[in-house]
Amino acid sequence: MSKQKWETRPLEVWNKAKEMRAKWQKSIDTASSERVLLAQGNCQWSIGFPALRVIEDNPVGAMMANKSDEFARVSRLAGEIIGWGREICGYQLNCWGAMYLGHQIDGSPFPLRDLVIPFSDPCDQHTKRGQAPMDYSPIPRFQENYPLYTGPQDPNRDKTMIEDKVYTTLYIIAEIERIFGQKFDDERFVASVKVSGGITPYAQEVSRFMQHIPSPLSQKDLYSFYTLGGLTKGDPGETVAIWKALRDEVEWRVQNNIAAVGNERFRWMEAHPPPWHFLKYYRYMEKYGAVCIGSQYSHMMAGPMELKKDGTWGPRFSGGGFGRTIDRPIKTREDAIRVMLGTEARGHRFKDDEVIRPWALDDFAKAYKADGAILPLWRCGVGCTVTRKEQGLRLSEMGVRVLHYEGSQPGDRTDLDENRLFDQLDVWMESQGLRKLED
Amino acid sequence: MERFHEILQNRHEYARAWKKKTGGKVIGYYEPYMPEEIVYAAGALPVRLLSQHEPDDTTDRQMYGNCACSRDILNQFIKGRYDYIDGLINAEGCQWMLNAFQTTLNNQPELFNHYIFVPDYVDGKTSKDVMRSELVVFKKAVENWMGKPINDSDLDRAIEVYNTNRRLMRQVYELRRADNPVVLGSEAMEMVLASQVMDKTEMNKILEDAIAKLANRKPRTDTGVRLMLVGSPTSDVALEELVESLGANVVIDEVCTGSCYFWNEVIPQTNRLMAISLRYLGRPHCALKDNNWRRRPAHIHQLYEDYQAQGVIIAKQIYCHPHGTDNPLIWKILRERNIPFHYFERDMTLPYEETRLRLEAFINMLKPMLVLK
Repeated sequence: MSKQKWETRPLEVWNKAKEMRAKWQKSIDTASSERVLLAQGNCQWSIGFPALRVIEDNPVGAMMANKSDEFARVSRLAGEIIGWGREICGYQLNCWGAMYLGHQIDGSPFPLRDLVIPFSDPCDQHTKRGQAPMDYSPIPRFQENYPLYTGPQDPNRDKTMIEDKVYTTLYIIAEIERIFGQKFDDERFVASVKVSGGITPYAQEVSRFMQHIPSPLSQKDLYSFYTLGGLTKGDPGETVAIWKALRDEVEWRVQNNIAAVGNERFRWMEAHPPPWHFLKYYRYMEKYGAVCIGSQYSHMMAGPMELKKDGTWGPRFSGGGFGRTIDRPIKTREDAIRVMLGTEARGHRFKDDEVIRPWALDDFAKAYKADGAILPLWRCGVGCTVTRKEQGLRLSEMGVRVLHYEGSQPGDRTDLDENRLFDQLDVWMESQGLRKLED
Repeated sequence: MERFHEILQNRHEYARAWKKKTGGKVIGYYEPYMPEEIVYAAGALPVRLLSQHEPDDTTDRQMYGNCACSRDILNQFIKGRYDYIDGLINAEGCQWMLNAFQTTLNNQPELFNHYIFVPDYVDGKTSKDVMRSELVVFKKAVENWMGKPINDSDLDRAIEVYNTNRRLMRQVYELRRADNPVVLGSEAMEMVLASQVMDKTEMNKILEDAIAKLANRKPRTDTGVRLMLVGSPTSDVALEELVESLGANVVIDEVCTGSCYFWNEVIPQTNRLMAISLRYLGRPHCALKDNNWRRRPAHIHQLYEDYQAQGVIIAKQIYCHPHGTDNPLIWKILRERNIPFHYFERDMTLPYEETRLRLEAFINMLKPMLVLK
């Protein structure tokens, strides 16, 4: 074993993130017994309903894949039996399969959803999301548009699309008030928009610190935080505090060259989620002194970033909340919604880049000085795989070594040959003249 | 009937000949939400990009896990079969087609191109405004590209041509409701598919002639079990012909490239673009857009009843996520109403023997119902 170049140490703030995540998970499990509404979907405004909790099928499906392959498989089969295609997103099949079975991994009853709120995304599977619980038991479902267009930004197009989203959001909130008799707390919502906007600058700094050599965090570290304030909902103040603590700690790590991988000599990047049931390949790559510096996906809390003309890595939108400019006082529900939506109808999430800024992945590679890229080819998830081959070609052209591996979907281990993946990693690293530093 | 078959089989030659004859431009499009009226009003020929179901030997470099339809369209572009296409339009439908659109443009950036956002929430109160606004932008883009304005009379003419085509196709489909239909499922599907790659004015003339001849055709008494076809878009009639060879007939379909293509008309109003928007948002929902107000199940059941079908074939293209996600409710509704159905997945090509065996078993299961009837 070679001598370690840099000191490594666990993240101190990690436990806080874990606690917040566990608290959120518990709040979902107890929603029914506490008589609060449980919504499928994810919207920032949901915090305005004090007795409403939200959950997405992505994390549920991912956790199921990670915790029990057997149960995930049985759940997917339950979905297939009633008509789902087997090549459909594993997250959805895991989650809704468990709904058809009626129970969770531990045998406890499946927490049925009371309503569906939007979680629109350019991924088609997201557009169809929430349809399964609506079809299963007649619950209200609310949909919105996720605008997208190619070519240069067009403020006129944006304006119409934003007005549509503002109207739809106001309509959904009013409908939930009407149907469920819950009063929307405007003050709470406005306060949360003001506070939550504070996450973005911290997340951006964390993201930028990872450009440092040695990288202070690796992808698997980032995965403990990247949903906080997004998919994982907690108290907005507490969430901002965790992000601040993370920023402070990561800054200190950079100043003191505390590394995620003590022998960092190869930096690699990804695109989209990993196989949640097989995260050990990150550790395996560390044996080669290889650190994963993340992906646009895992850095998403920083908002859309871009390579500036001077070579720096910065946010596409200036200003505060959600990486956008707060150009008005936030007093009313509508003000808060408008700040939430911003002024550009498209381009707020990493997935838009695949359509409107296909070079964004190249910029990411440049900004993080990536030597290599491991890009999964997921057979069963349109959003998880679309454009991946072309991204690989572009990265190869700029000198980044690319490895593709095949699998079903991040939440479905059916087609992922784990031993083959290890072999591929060995061959790939050795083809670049790198041997394991430890075994 | 032969003419439709001939045009469908030689659609590339047809478009090249049209171009030579008129000196016009040809615009290829991927999704059924593309407002053809605007393109037609500009004097260009809108052509739906159809796959050919042949083994794909070119797209692996750029695509992975895509449905066969999107792969094959790219395959044909790479092989130069679409060399007559001057522009590409994608009106938002499924993501695989968006991918095919983008990838083709990466290979051929010189093509005129435009992306129309079609609301995911087609029934949303403000979605019609979004769609109309998108059509304003699209119209302007086409005008700039063609170098001439599209005025209201151009739009009126195009709307009339397209509405006439829709009415004529509805007439053909009406004939299929008869106990002994004069038109077979494969023939009707060939007509619809051909209409998507032809100049509609010419198509309407041929169609009128064909309908007149069909009136004199002797009703067939040998068409057997009446089936309905539901599922992913198709671009050939291999399945319908296979069904016919097994003593059955597809009497109605709920397919984006079939009945859903022509089912509703543009209802004229002063604001032409709003009229067109409402037509496209109001068309029978495709599986992807049928995500909130679930109209597909009721529409399928209505067609099933109206056409006195005795069973349903659900043919899903493998990797077609809209249908792969939409099917559970369709299955549920069919089961609740005691409607027999057979589900299978298509790939790049139709696995003939396997499919024949399965369909034969399904059709045989339905035959006792004929006796009881």
